[in-house]
Amino acid sequence: MIIGRLYIDQKSVVPKVVIGVVIALLAIVPLFTTSMVTLSTLISSGIWAVAVMGFILILRTGQFSMGQAAFMAIGGYVSAILTLNLGLSYYWLSFLASGVISGLIAFAIGLIVLRAGGTSFSIITIAFGEIVRIVALNWEDLTHGAAGILVKPPPPINIGNFEINFSLSLVPFYYFMILLVVASALFYWQIDRIRIGGTFRSVAANPVLAEHLGVHLMKYRVIAFTIAGVFTGFAGAYYVTFISVINPLIFDLWKSIQIMMMAIVGGPSLIVGGAIIGSTVLYSLGNYLSQLPVPNVQYVVFGAVVVLVLLFLPKGTGLVDLWGKFWRKVFREPEEYEIPGEFADDEEE
Amino acid sequence: MPPAGIWIDGLVQSCIYMTMAFGMVLVFSILGILNWTHGQFYMLGAFVVYYAVTAAGIPFPLSLLVSGVIVGALGMLVEKFIIERLTGPGYGLLAVTAATMALIFFFEGAAGMAFGLMAKGMATTLPGVLDMGVFSISYQKIAVIIFTLIVMVAMYIVLNRTKIGKAIRATAQQPDAASLYGVNVGWVSLIVMGIGCALAAMAGGIMGPVQSVDPFMGRIPMIMSLLAIVIGGLGSLTGAIVGGIILGLLNSVIAYKISYLSEVVLFVLVIAILLIRPQGLFGAASK
Repeated sequence: MIIGRLYIDQKSVVPKVVIGVVIALLAIVPLFTTSMVTLSTLISSGIWAVAVMGFILILRTGQFSMGQAAFMAIGGYVSAILTLNLGLSYYWLSFLASGVISGLIAFAIGLIVLRAGGTSFSIITIAFGEIVRIVALNWEDLTHGAAGILVKPPPPINIGNFEINFSLSLVPFYYFMILLVVASALFYWQIDRIRIGGTFRSVAANPVLAEHLGVHLMKYRVIAFTIAGVFTGFAGAYYVTFISVINPLIFDLWKSIQIMMMAIVGGPSLIVGGAIIGSTVLYSLGNYLSQLPVPNVQYVVFGAVVVLVLLFLPKGTGLVDLWGKFWRKVFREPEEYEIPGEFADDEEE
Repeated sequence: MPPAGIWIDGLVQSCIYMTMAFGMVLVFSILGILNWTHGQFYMLGAFVVYYAVTAAGIPFPLSLLVSGVIVGALGMLVEKFIIERLTGPGYGLLAVTAATMALIFFFEGAAGMAFGLMAKGMATTLPGVLDMGVFSISYQKIAVIIFTLIVMVAMYIVLNRTKIGKAIRATAQQPDAASLYGVNVGWVSLIVMGIGCALAAMAGGIMGPVQSVDPFMGRIPMIMSLLAIVIGGLGSLTGAIVGGIILGLLNSVIAYKISYLSEVVLFVLVIAILLIRPQGLFGAASK
């Protein structure tokens, strides 16, 4: 079994009212503060949350992708190169293209590598991340090598008399981030609720049984990997627009592992909630740590936090499960279900 | 045909990938998990050797053993306090994979904080070049090759001729049956983890004079030996050795032909092998 834990019924953990209130509160943040630090922390957390959701979706099918940052890099490079060559007015087109191309690459890689599955898949994706970095570093005609490409903010959008200008303040970036997160959250949420989400989980929980019930394992693994690739590409494209530069060092192995860490700390049992909580907590922590004068302290603290979360939170379920327990204890009866039985520890068996 | 020096460089790389992949597969066959932190034990081993040689003045061969013992003990601690606790019933593969991956950065960060980020050279250890007429080879590289031969022979003897080796092989085949016959599976896991980490540490130590020692030196060997495992087939010791040789030699030769994109070619090669044989060259057919 890959994910040895309870699946949390989303409805019982956080009622819709609370989600609505949280979104409403987030939506009016710029009214209270337009400080650089707060907004950029929130924006980055949101973008990482989109990437983490992709990671958790792949995890739902029992695969452990360690190269998600590579898809962010692909998305970022596609959008940066297209806007550089086509002109800034094509920004939104190249933004779309980033997701599409990243998804196509994920589809192609997944088609081959997911046949091996399991640990081999993790190894290949980790190597894929390094390969993308090496190619980006050395293909100087296209990617400008180590110097990277400066990315301009998207052109102003005029709606009547009202102009949304991205180059003046962070507020438009903030709202577009909310849009991106809400769109992908709704998408992932729906996927998790409808039939295909159940199929994903069955593929992870007991591949042998699922296959005997007529589930084409490869098909669903590739679907999940491709969906994650598309959204991670969008996240990457938007992230490089936000930080206004892309170079090979931005999306390295550390970022891939960071995505995994955010998923672990937030709790991979909830696609949306876990991703958002994990990325917000860890990104804020990392932001704080990077201001300390000690070099590398972020690596040490993140590594320690993940190990401690795995060791001491129940069965490695992350923060979202703590929240779920708290909510249930305070407000309602337990309403969780467990995938019955202890499945074989290893899918090869 | 590339010159002999390229082949020797490839052979040296092969030796390192082989030793590391061997340790990883050994751990995998007993614990059922990959130790993703292996490259960082390699790095820590190199640091131990560096400080043993430069600061404590211990002779180089002895400091290799010291690093093997110290890092092996560290690996045992990791097994005892992290891996063992995360592999109990109810935990999936996710927990232990995530934990060992988090340890990659824990160790790299800790090494950076403790030893500094600057690359440290120890090229003065084992100076000199052996001139063979048509080509010459430095003593450092000869040391790597001899070290690997010794390690492989020693591992062969340990696994095939000793009681603990028998216990290890039995546990790899059938943990439950082995424990019925009086093998303490917990101890075997601990010892195997210690052996694997010690191998990685000594490989790092012996490579210390050839390259330089820095906190991030473990990443390329880690990825390469992981790919070697994929090529050879997960869980096959022969596969790890053959995969390591293939990757090391090819990496060196391809790098000679087309300079910088050798990793990309290797990656495509690995993908091609997976396309034909998803279970790797020596892996058991998928069940």
